[in-house]
Amino acid sequence: MADQDEPGFGRRPLMAGAAGMLTSLLAGARPADAQSSARRGALVIGLDISDALSLDPVRVYQYSNPLPTRAAYDGLVTYDAGDNITVKPALATEWSYLPDGKTIRFKLRPGVKFASGATVTAEDVRFSFARHLAIKDQPFQYISHVESVAVVDATTVDLVLKDPTLPVISIIATPAFGIQEKSQVVANGGTDAADAKDKDKATEWLNNNSAGAGPYRLTGWQRNQQIQMVRNPHYWRGAPGYERVLIRHMSESAAQLLAIQRGDIDVAFNLIPEQIATLENDPNISIMGTPSLDFIYMAVAEAPSNPALQNKLARQAIGHAIDFDGIIKNLAGGAAVRPTSFLPVGTNGSTEALTKEIGFNEDLPKARRLLAEAGLPNGFKFQLAYGNAAIAGVTYQNLAQKIQADLARVGIVAELAPMDQVNLRTMFLGGKAEAVLTFWNPPAPENWLWTSATVNRVARRVVWDVPADMHKLVADAGAERDLAKAAVLYREYQKRMVDFAHHIVLVQPVYQVAVRKSVGGLNLTAAGWMADLAAAKPA
Amino acid sequence: MIRYVISRLATAVVMVLLATLVIFLIANTVPGDPAMAALGDMQASDPVQVREFRARWGLDLPLWEQYWLFLKRLAQGDLGISISSRRPVLADIIDYAPATLELATIAFLLSLAVGLPLGVVAAVKRDSWVDHLARFVALIGVSAPTFWLAFIMLAIFYGQLDWAPGPGRLDPIAFPPDRITGLLLIDTALAGDWETFRDAAAHLVLPSIVLAASTLGLITRTTRAAMLEALNQDYVRVARAKGLLARVVVTGHAVPNAMLPVVTLGGLAYANLLTGAVMTETVFGWPGLGRYTFRSAVTVDFPAIMAITAIVAAIFVLVNLLVDLSYALLDPRVARA
Repeated sequence: MADQDEPGFGRRPLMAGAAGMLTSLLAGARPADAQSSARRGALVIGLDISDALSLDPVRVYQYSNPLPTRAAYDGLVTYDAGDNITVKPALATEWSYLPDGKTIRFKLRPGVKFASGATVTAEDVRFSFARHLAIKDQPFQYISHVESVAVVDATTVDLVLKDPTLPVISIIATPAFGIQEKSQVVANGGTDAADAKDKDKATEWLNNNSAGAGPYRLTGWQRNQQIQMVRNPHYWRGAPGYERVLIRHMSESAAQLLAIQRGDIDVAFNLIPEQIATLENDPNISIMGTPSLDFIYMAVAEAPSNPALQNKLARQAIGHAIDFDGIIKNLAGGAAVRPTSFLPVGTNGSTEALTKEIGFNEDLPKARRLLAEAGLPNGFKFQLAYGNAAIAGVTYQNLAQKIQADLARVGIVAELAPMDQVNLRTMFLGGKAEAVLTFWNPPAPENWLWTSATVNRVARRVVWDVPADMHKLVADAGAERDLAKAAVLYREYQKRMVDFAHHIVLVQPVYQVAVRKSVGGLNLTAAGWMADLAAAKPA
Repeated sequence: MIRYVISRLATAVVMVLLATLVIFLIANTVPGDPAMAALGDMQASDPVQVREFRARWGLDLPLWEQYWLFLKRLAQGDLGISISSRRPVLADIIDYAPATLELATIAFLLSLAVGLPLGVVAAVKRDSWVDHLARFVALIGVSAPTFWLAFIMLAIFYGQLDWAPGPGRLDPIAFPPDRITGLLLIDTALAGDWETFRDAAAHLVLPSIVLAASTLGLITRTTRAAMLEALNQDYVRVARAKGLLARVVVTGHAVPNAMLPVVTLGGLAYANLLTGAVMTETVFGWPGLGRYTFRSAVTVDFPAIMAITAIVAAIFVLVNLLVDLSYALLDPRVARA
C-alpha cells in the first residue's frame, strides 16, 4: 500500500555528496602514471607467489620463489637462457674433478662482491653448502651425495662427493645453491653446525633480506602481497638496469591481464592461452614464449586392483589411443611440445623428432592390436584420478575428459575420479592409484633427476618392479660426463620407458609471458627460475 | 544484567570449543595427509622423513591427545605453528588480519550507509522509483556472484575507464608505510603520509563495493520489510492521528522499532564479511584472511585450520552477544525483562 507522501525524504543530496567524494578520491588515485620516472626505474612483475614458503635459499623449492632467489643470489655456476644442457661459469670461473675422482675443485672469480660490498670468499661458499648439508631441507635432497665441502685457499673450494658417479655441477646451478654471505647470515642467527636443523634461526631474517651477490637485493616480503628488491650496485656483471624490482602477487590471471594492459605491471607470468591471444595486437606488449621443462603426464600403475593394467600391452594400448596433437592444439592452444617420455624436450637427448620416431603416437589399429594381444579385445576399465588444478591454462578436468573420449574409441573405459590435490597426492604417493594425471617440474635441468626418480620413488607410485638393467642404464647415463655419449644412453632410456608404458607424457607447455615493450633484456629461462633479471633494463 | 552477560560468556566459550572439536574431527576424516601436502616430492617419498615430519607436528599422536594438546596450547594463548608457512599461526594471522579488517569494516559501513536509508525510503515511498531502485539493488546485491561482480567492476572501472586503481592494497611502486596497526589508512594517517593514504583509500573503493554488495542487498531488504511492518502498526497510526509530522512519525516511531531485526542481521553480516571474503580477496589480490583460510584448508594445515576456526567461532559468538546486548539499548522492554 502506498502511504501518503512523506515530506523531507529523498531530497537530501546524500548520495550525490558521497559520489562526489568518491570521484575526488579516485581522481587522485593514480599518482604514478606509467611514464613517471619512479615507474620507469622499477620493474614490476605480476606473479602468483602464494606457493612461496621461504626466501632463505636452503629452503627454496617451490615454484615461484626461485625467481627472486636467483635475482638475489648468484651461484657457482648457471645456465644461460635457452640452453639447458651446458653449465656456464658464474661465481666460479672453472672447475674440474681431481685425480681422486670424487673431489670437484672450484676456482672463484676474483673480486666479486656481495650486495653489502664485502668480497665473496671461499669461506662463504663453504658455509653456504655446509648450511645446506646441516639443515637438510628439500634442496639438500638433490645433493645428498655430497660428503663435505672444504676451503683450499681464499679463492678455491673443494666439493667432496660420497658417490662420484652422481652428477652435482648441473644441480648446483639451481637458485637454492646461491652463495650466501657468511658474516651476514651468522649475524642474523644462521649456523652451519651439525645441529643447524634446530639451531639455525636465520630463515626469518632471510625471508625479508638477502645476503647474496646477485643483481638485486631483497628488502622485504609481504606474504601474498609483494616481494621488494633493490639494485645491487656492486654486481659483478655490471650495474643492473632497474632501481627496484617488485614482484607483485596476483593469483588471478584475469587481474594480471588487466594490470599489464594498464601498465601497472611490466611482466605477467600467469596468463592463460586465451588471454595471451587477446594481447597479440596490443602495441605496447610483446609475448615471449619459452618451452618449459615442466610436463603433465599420466601415470599408469600396475595396480593390484586392476589386472588389466598389470599387462604391459594394455598400458601401451592406452598410449597409442590418445590424440596427443588434439590435446596440444585444442587444450593448450598450440603452446606446447611433447617429449618421448620422462625427459622433457630441451634436455640432453630429448627432442620432438625423437617422440615421432620412438614415442607414443596416436595409432588406433595398433592400440586395438595390442589389446587383442593382451587378451583384452573388448578393452578394459580403469580409474583415472586427477586434481582440481590447471597447468598453463590446461585444466586436468578437460584433459581427463579428452582422454576418456579418446580411449573410448578402442573400448578402454576411463572412469574419472576428480579430487582435491592433497587427497590425490596422498593416494598417488601411497601407491594406491590406478592412473593419475599429474605434473612434474624439475629442481634443475639435470637428466639424472628425472631418470632416477622414475626408477625409484616414482616407480613405487606406479607399483613397478624396475628390472636391474634399467637401474644400471639410469646409473650409467648419470655417471657419463660426456654429453654426447650420455645422449645415446638417454635415447635408450626413453625407448625403454615407452615400452614399460607407466608414464605417458601429454603436454610440455611453452610458457607464454607478456612483457611490456618498455622492458628490454629480460631473458626467460626454463632452467627453474623463470627469468634472469640481471640484464633487464628499461628499453 | 551482569549475570546475564557472564552466563552468555560462559556459553560462548563452550560454543567456541564445540566448534573447534567439530572442525577437528572433520579435518581428521579428510583422506588428505598434511605430510603429503607440506613435503617436497623427494621427502614425501621417504618413509623415514615422513615419520619424522609426523612426529615433529604431533600428527602421530592419538586423536584425543592431539586435540588435548591443541586445547592446552590454546589456553596459553598459543595457536601453534602453521604447517604450510612454518611460522606461528598467530604471526600469520597478525600479518593477514588487518587487510581483511580494513576491507570488511569499510564494506560494512558502506552497506549500512547506503542500505539503511535506501530501505527506509523504499518502505516509506513504496512502489515509487526509489522502491524499485532499492529492490533492484537488493536483487543484484544478493544474487550476483561475488567473483563475477568483482571481475566486472575491475574490468570496467580499472580496465576500461581507468577511474579506479588495480588489484592490491597499494600501487605496485608505492612504499608501504611502517607497520603500526597494519591498517593502511590508519598507519599512513599516523605517519602523515597523505599521498599513500589516498592511494590506499582509492585501492579500497572497488573491493569494498564488491564485498558490500551482498550485505547491502540484505540490509536494504530487511530494513524495507521491517519498516513496512512498523509503518502498519497501531502506534504509527496513533502518531499520525495526533498530527505529527511525517518525518517525526518515521524517524521517531517507525525506525527505532524497525531496527531490531536489522541490528541482528547487521551483526551477523559484519562477522560474515570478516570471515568470508575469499572471492573478493582473490580477484583483488588482497592479502587477507580469506585467502589464508582457503590455503590452509587446501593444504590440510591443521594448526592454521583449528586456530582460524576458534577465531571465527569467537567472532560470531561475540558479535551475537553484542547484538543481544544492544537490544537492551534499542528496546527498553528487553532491558527491563
